[in-house]
Amino acid sequence: MTDVSQTRTGGIDYRRRQRLSRIAHSLVILAGAIVLTIYVIAPVTWLVSSSFQTEAEIVSVPPHWIPDEPTLQNFEAIFTAQEEEEITYETRSGQDPAAGGFIPSTAKNLLPAMWNSFIVATLVVILNLLVGVPAAYALAKIRFWGRDGSVYFILITRVIPDIALVVPFFLVIRKLGMLDSIFSLVLTYLAVTVPFSVFILLQYFEGLPDELDKAARVDGCSRFQALVRVFLPLSLPSLVAVVLFTFLTSWNEFLLALMFTQTEASQTLPILLAAFTSDFTISFSFINAAGVLAIVPPVIVAVIFERYIVSGLTAGAVKG
Amino acid sequence: MAEVVHQQAGRGRLRAMFGYEERSAIVFLAPVMAVLMGVAVFPILYSFYLSFFRMKLTRPNRTPFVWFDNYTDLFTNELFWVSVTRTVVFAVTSVTSIAVVALLVALLLNQNFRGRRILSTIILIPWAIPYVANALMWKWIYDSGYGALNGVLYQLDFIDKYMVWLGDQDKTIFLIANAFVWKEVPLAAILLLVSLKSIPSDLYQAARVDGATVWQRFFHVTLPAMKPGFMLVMIYETMMAIRHFDLFFILTEGGPGDASHVLSWHIYVETFRNLSFGSGAAMSYVLALVTFALSYTFIRTLGRKV
Repeated sequence: MTDVSQTRTGGIDYRRRQRLSRIAHSLVILAGAIVLTIYVIAPVTWLVSSSFQTEAEIVSVPPHWIPDEPTLQNFEAIFTAQEEEEITYETRSGQDPAAGGFIPSTAKNLLPAMWNSFIVATLVVILNLLVGVPAAYALAKIRFWGRDGSVYFILITRVIPDIALVVPFFLVIRKLGMLDSIFSLVLTYLAVTVPFSVFILLQYFEGLPDELDKAARVDGCSRFQALVRVFLPLSLPSLVAVVLFTFLTSWNEFLLALMFTQTEASQTLPILLAAFTSDFTISFSFINAAGVLAIVPPVIVAVIFERYIVSGLTAGAVKG
Repeated sequence: MAEVVHQQAGRGRLRAMFGYEERSAIVFLAPVMAVLMGVAVFPILYSFYLSFFRMKLTRPNRTPFVWFDNYTDLFTNELFWVSVTRTVVFAVTSVTSIAVVALLVALLLNQNFRGRRILSTIILIPWAIPYVANALMWKWIYDSGYGALNGVLYQLDFIDKYMVWLGDQDKTIFLIANAFVWKEVPLAAILLLVSLKSIPSDLYQAARVDGATVWQRFFHVTLPAMKPGFMLVMIYETMMAIRHFDLFFILTEGGPGDASHVLSWHIYVETFRNLSFGSGAAMSYVLALVTFALSYTFIRTLGRKV
């Protein structure tokens, strides 16, 4: 490359200028990459770092960016909270007399809340696949009257803000006696997530050749068999994307859970976290440890399945 | 007996009206339609209906039909207009910041360099974090006593004493917008990156042949070609911003004073603290209509179906 340009322009000066500009280019990229990494990583690192600090350390001014004496006491408190320890004035201030760091009695609800979050998310994923896959297949491969209308209809439901649904949801769920039950969450999350799932799948199915469908039908498959035997095995990437999105959305959802849950029977992790942040007596290091617990699963999922997530996001973007 | 015959005839007519294709399409689409009808369409219609009643849960047996009173009350309510202003400020600030930052990120990730893949994985982290955890994290960063923001600025000598951040009326909404931007940039950047990658390279070639500089190429080739991508990001992020709730709930609860009293927070307070479901429903309906109108105009100006 450089040789060609050199012979064409002839000058050694040109080559030098080109090299300089290439160096400048990579310097800009390097600077940009560093700034971006710090921008993304720094807040999270600070949260993680302070979750490993003792109460005495976390209130130091200026803050310790790296804990002097890292401790697991906050995480220990979460995982061993089941063994009921009576909270008295002594135990409360006994952990650290200087700061009076306090681990709330609701700490023992954290693991059950994580479990609730997990169950809700899993059920929503399963229902999404059961409901979304046939719909996407029908919209992609069957020509019928009202097809475009159905696509638009599903699209439009995505535009309704969930806060606008909260009031009627609440009244209906209350009437059905489903308040404080995880099924109210499963049902509403399903409605919130299913349009996006359908779009990811629709996009993918449309990309698969129609001939596949025809061949299966000629061989005597019913529509259902064509879907299950021919299309499902081929659409693994989009299925993974649906699973990821649905799971993460359900795991992270807050507003609806705030409305419908009241006790530990149905409270999900975000609800418990929110309750911690509004209690000024609770130690910051403990709250941060709880926050880290909420962050770890989705971040691990996102990092492992990065490729699927990016392709899913862009597929959803083209359509909706 | 006659009924059975009638039913069979009915079924036959159905069979005649819809071929196998139509029938299987109906069966395949039925579940998703049932879910969306029951859990999206019905509630939004129901909330329209509710918005005509004065419905206070504190007086459960008296829910008079009041025509448009909830709406007219709304438009004469000072706090409602305050919340509209706050929502607009929040949305405009955060959507512009998201667009700018995401553009820079997308331009960076469009380059070829070592570590690009790692970087594009790292930027997914904010996207994956739950909003509540994000709020908790920023609350701790902004903390006036021991937070990182104070710590950094103090150690770098930008401030000589710790400041109150979220408690400052002039700063609150922008600090919340910052937390929102941090979380939303990854998605916006990924969407912009797609539209960057879709620009045909011969456009650049042609521009280069015509002697366009880097900047000219950027402003005359890159930016116009990214218009659809930008539109998409703007629509989506505007919709997200005007309905956003979680950060306001955890960081400020609408405070200090009414400095971060946005519309979604107003709806929440009206409905679940004042237990006034009728006017809450009216406001929800206004918000839903605004969202529809916004996305409709965006799509129209974009001139393509989304």
